[in-house]
Amino acid sequence: MEMDLQIIVKRCDDIPVIVLKGEVDAYTSARFREVMLEVVDTHGPKVVISMADVDYIDSSGLGALVGGLKRVSERDGKIVIVCDKPQVRKVFEITGLEKVFPIFESEEAAVADVRG
Amino acid sequence: MRWMTDRQIEERTSFSVPEEFALRDEVRWLKSEDLKLFRYLRESMNKIEPAYVSTYPPSECGIATFCKDFASSVAKYTPFSKPTVLAVKREHEIEPYDRVVRYQILKESRQSYLDAAKFVNDSSIDIVSIQHEYGIFGGEDGEYVLDFLENLEKPAVATLHTVLRQPSPNQKRILQAIGERCEVAVTMIKTGRQILLDVYGIDPKKATVIPHGVPNVHRLSASSVKRALGIANAHVLSTFGLINRGKGIEYVIRAMPKILEKHPNTVYLVLGETHPGVRKHEGESYRNTLNDIVSQLGLEEHVRFNNRFLSLNELVRYLCATDVYITPYLNKDQICSGTLAYAVGCGKAIVSTPYLYAEEVLSDGRGCLVDFESPDGIAETTGRILDDRELKESLETNAYAYGRRAAWFNVAVDYLDLFHRVVIGRRAANKMPADETISTGAQTRTKE
Repeated sequence: MEMDLQIIVKRCDDIPVIVLKGEVDAYTSARFREVMLEVVDTHGPKVVISMADVDYIDSSGLGALVGGLKRVSERDGKIVIVCDKPQVRKVFEITGLEKVFPIFESEEAAVADVRG
Repeated sequence: MRWMTDRQIEERTSFSVPEEFALRDEVRWLKSEDLKLFRYLRESMNKIEPAYVSTYPPSECGIATFCKDFASSVAKYTPFSKPTVLAVKREHEIEPYDRVVRYQILKESRQSYLDAAKFVNDSSIDIVSIQHEYGIFGGEDGEYVLDFLENLEKPAVATLHTVLRQPSPNQKRILQAIGERCEVAVTMIKTGRQILLDVYGIDPKKATVIPHGVPNVHRLSASSVKRALGIANAHVLSTFGLINRGKGIEYVIRAMPKILEKHPNTVYLVLGETHPGVRKHEGESYRNTLNDIVSQLGLEEHVRFNNRFLSLNELVRYLCATDVYITPYLNKDQICSGTLAYAVGCGKAIVSTPYLYAEEVLSDGRGCLVDFESPDGIAETTGRILDDRELKESLETNAYAYGRRAAWFNVAVDYLDLFHRVVIGRRAANKMPADETISTGAQTRTKE
């Protein structure tokens, strides 16, 4: 099976940034969830997830994000999204999850927000 | 060539479309794990309660399958909303419906349509999505659907599965009335929308295009699935769906001798049972005719019928093993084809007759068109694809890219967006008090 999601974890100063490239869907979201939870456990509960290069996200991708939110909430943390693609942003808007996950167009702004 | 039984195929292929652990499941699970977060999400997330009027499985028809895929795809994004299906059924049917079917409309009972409208009016349902095809509703040309619409107080959106270029006066009247009464009429291709404007005079602002949804299938190499199916070295052609005379399958069978001249190891799979409505009137006479042609041409080793209603996983498995998918349909005006949409979603090289849906979906290098009723055309084009690896890969890549945009998870978002806009528009028109409004992203909608 072709896996159509690349996941890179980097740090922007002290903040972990998970960079996603491709599609976050039923085939790939379990791996994304696994990486995200590992990052939270290893690097702390303040995380930026860059979806600037995500083509599509489905409800299982949103479910993985909510799973991550549960983990960071237990430790007073935060998940912030980087996204400037209308198709992906629309998914957050129509579900109302844009009120749960702050969304920024640039990584710098997202890192600044999550750092607080 | 030795054919495998269905059980053998099941045992030897492990591929399946994954079950999503969707947003809805995650949030429901939270209810027992983290009530505080669950409540926060319940307060923050948008809520919209759609109802769907359609045939519904276990009824075996394309629109029933469409409605189930559609409703379940939308529900995955709306964990705090309750979807409702109003299933249209024939009086004598006793269907073991899912729990989501909360109302049954008796197809030929006019009163049942009035009662259904009252059921919706008295409920918390925000919007009604009607799957329209003339044959699924009662009365002449399915005109009883208008009784439902005329008595409905909630906003409605119609998805049109048939848009005729040359309707009868009654068919035209019905579609015009649907266009008048519904807030938006959805077609699955641009050509359908244009016909709505040109032939039916529908207001352009009320007509929109959302593609036919397709399963979320990532690309697999045909060879790996063929190996599992025990046909590793064969070229596989296929057609699937509910079999009826309009499918034109005989023209592919008649093309087979010519295809076999150059590609002797080719098989043609005809997947699916006879359409229940057709079987009721003429039994298996069309399939028997096809079998007779197979015998006359000595093609028993090269044409296989699988006379069953296939599950999604079975269907996808066969599609993944397919080298060339063929829709040899005979009706030029066909505006929608679920089977073609599925093949595009699986990224297949496709050969089709130029009915309206195929013409548009397969344009820009996404497939090849051949004349209607033309075994020679089918043979020549199919042979060319089998000969030319580059052409085949190009067709597959282009089809797959188009199919990703039409994956059900994307189509569900398009419909949810439309539902929200319609509900907001209706409530604004009704001038609800300001304190009844709640925010949905950049826009605003009102509480039930």
